[in-house]
Amino acid sequence: MKRKEMLSFKIEKIYLDVKAETNWVTRHILKSLPDVPVERVEDKKNLIKQFLPITDPIGMGKRNLLITHFYGRRLKPCPGTSRHICCGYYVINPITNCPMDCSYCVLQGYLNNPFLTLYSNWDDLLQEVESFLAIGRPPLSRLGTGELSDSLALESIFPISQFLVPFFAKKNAILELKTKSTEVEHLLSLDHRGRTVVSWSLNPPQVIEEEERGTASLEERIDAAKRCQEAGYPLGFHFDPMIDHEGWEKGYEGLINFLFSRIDPKRVVWISLGGFRYPAQLKGIAEERFPKTRIFLGELFPGGDGKFRYFKTIRVEMYRKMVKWLKQVSPDLFIYLCMESQEVWKEVFGWSPQNSQQLNQLFEERVKKFIKIPVEYRPALLGG
Amino acid sequence: MNAIQKILLNQIDLSDETFSVNFMPDLQGLRSSIKAIGFIQPVLLRKEKGHYRIVCGFRRIWVLKELGVFEIPAMVFEEKEPSDLELFVLSLQENLTTRGFNAVEKAIALQKLIHRFQLEHSEVVKTYLHLFSLEPNEKILNTYLSLAEMEDETKRFVLREEVSRSNIRLLAQMSSEDRMALLPFLSLLKLGENRLREMLTLLSEISRRERISIKEVIDRPDIQGILSQKELTPIQRTERVKRVLMNLRHPKMKQMEEEFDRKRKAFNLPVGVSVHHAPYFEGKGLKMEFQFESTEEYRTILNSLSELVDKKEFKKLIESS
Repeated sequence: MKRKEMLSFKIEKIYLDVKAETNWVTRHILKSLPDVPVERVEDKKNLIKQFLPITDPIGMGKRNLLITHFYGRRLKPCPGTSRHICCGYYVINPITNCPMDCSYCVLQGYLNNPFLTLYSNWDDLLQEVESFLAIGRPPLSRLGTGELSDSLALESIFPISQFLVPFFAKKNAILELKTKSTEVEHLLSLDHRGRTVVSWSLNPPQVIEEEERGTASLEERIDAAKRCQEAGYPLGFHFDPMIDHEGWEKGYEGLINFLFSRIDPKRVVWISLGGFRYPAQLKGIAEERFPKTRIFLGELFPGGDGKFRYFKTIRVEMYRKMVKWLKQVSPDLFIYLCMESQEVWKEVFGWSPQNSQQLNQLFEERVKKFIKIPVEYRPALLGG
Repeated sequence: MNAIQKILLNQIDLSDETFSVNFMPDLQGLRSSIKAIGFIQPVLLRKEKGHYRIVCGFRRIWVLKELGVFEIPAMVFEEKEPSDLELFVLSLQENLTTRGFNAVEKAIALQKLIHRFQLEHSEVVKTYLHLFSLEPNEKILNTYLSLAEMEDETKRFVLREEVSRSNIRLLAQMSSEDRMALLPFLSLLKLGENRLREMLTLLSEISRRERISIKEVIDRPDIQGILSQKELTPIQRTERVKRVLMNLRHPKMKQMEEEFDRKRKAFNLPVGVSVHHAPYFEGKGLKMEFQFESTEEYRTILNSLSELVDKKEFKKLIESS
């Protein structure tokens, strides 16, 4: 299997918000990047405004790090829609934007701030998570940092996992670190107590080569997953976004076989499937940044939530085949669909969760059974 | 710069277009004006070794030459001072006060600033785009630079049809050969801004999906067949071509639509009644619409509809939807 170069990216400049200057996280980051020039910024809105008229502010943003504070909520329910079955996931955002550059990345049209941004008021974030978990959440709620960035991509700059994994090890909740990187070194020696799931987004090598610029190769991702498996972490895999391309069947079947030639399916807590989908504004931005991309050449149509998805028959066919190939590996794998309707669930699996709550319960059962660590359920401390 | 002086036309190098950004100049108005009231405003020239270069007044000099005039009042800059860039900017400013620029002339001017005068993109964005009433944005500069690179035929099309910047960008993504094949095709259709964007996007996406050139898409017999039907109006032609292109772009959707139509035609719907599937077949269920003008018609439709329940073709359609 073709190898890509090891994940690498270069921060060309650090923009340091003066309000974040004295923070311990800031000091840690600056120490990690001693040779990178630093510019103090009094007005970050003005900084962002300056960069928006250039040809590729998104590409520029990936090479420039902004260290600042975030004053709003950074823990939110995963954005789903009422028309779809959602898994009741929560997202935590210590970072926004990502040094990797996937052509399909929804962040390109979503974030107003193009900079790779690390929020240094880390203690506030942990407090927010602490408060969230204290108010009578269902046991084993799942929270993840991979929504507005890659969970592990900035580990070498600020090892978020070193703080989050031990934090969650003492909680009645599950942390998911979702990545396309190989940055697992920091994780291996941590006492995770099975409360952290490390997961990888996977695609066939051809898609990785063509559409996932700056990410680790498939082989490297699976090697990293294997190291985490050996360190006792439960693993997750996300075949999302699945791309309908010439030879997709061979590509995805080969991917599954390759994955499970190295990974023990018994250590895989969940697998998600999701066809490529995008909000209308993404197409123009991505086609301009990636003129050779073929992802928008599929048969994609707008759905009730305004997002474009593959024609239903295409999605159902892709999901059915994936489920078949995965179940051939192990019938016990826990497979779910991301942001799909009950109707599609039924066509793929022959059944569907009644609603998002039911899917959430299935996750809870799965996680309990899987991690085999007694869960002490603490009822509401603060009501709610 | 010296005072106004008379310069012989044969001493002016008409082939030197260093300072010209003219494209498709309309000389008729100028010709009539000079004939009626004579030559009023002196041109600007630069003295070179043994001849003069035109800085401002290309069109006036062309018309005077055409009218057989031998000499022309001019203000002359001496050699070397000011610089070529300063004179170019002067000529742009002078033209702006008198006539303004069309889109292609803006493109030529910006291209000259970058390529001939070697200015950085960022400087052109910051200092010069506003001269042409353009926002200071590098994407806009790149759009005009791509227009400057296009064939004259395409440039003329852009001016004639007042093609928008977003559509210029779509044209810029095509090969020169594809653009040349496209122009006669587009001229047979009736396309506003949005329709043109839709058509260019469809053609480009089909070409990339099927890995064939846009010319090959246009040359398909079904499309050529529509274009050759002289009895069709441009609007009808556009609609039919668009339908063919949509089917080529979305073959699975076309197949589902055909299947749905086949099932729908298998039972006879009453007149004035139509059945629709969910948009893009996303979601279950059918929608039925009917219209009537009297209680009699209403009753007839209801009776016919109640009979549908027992038709196995109708049940099939419901089950498959």
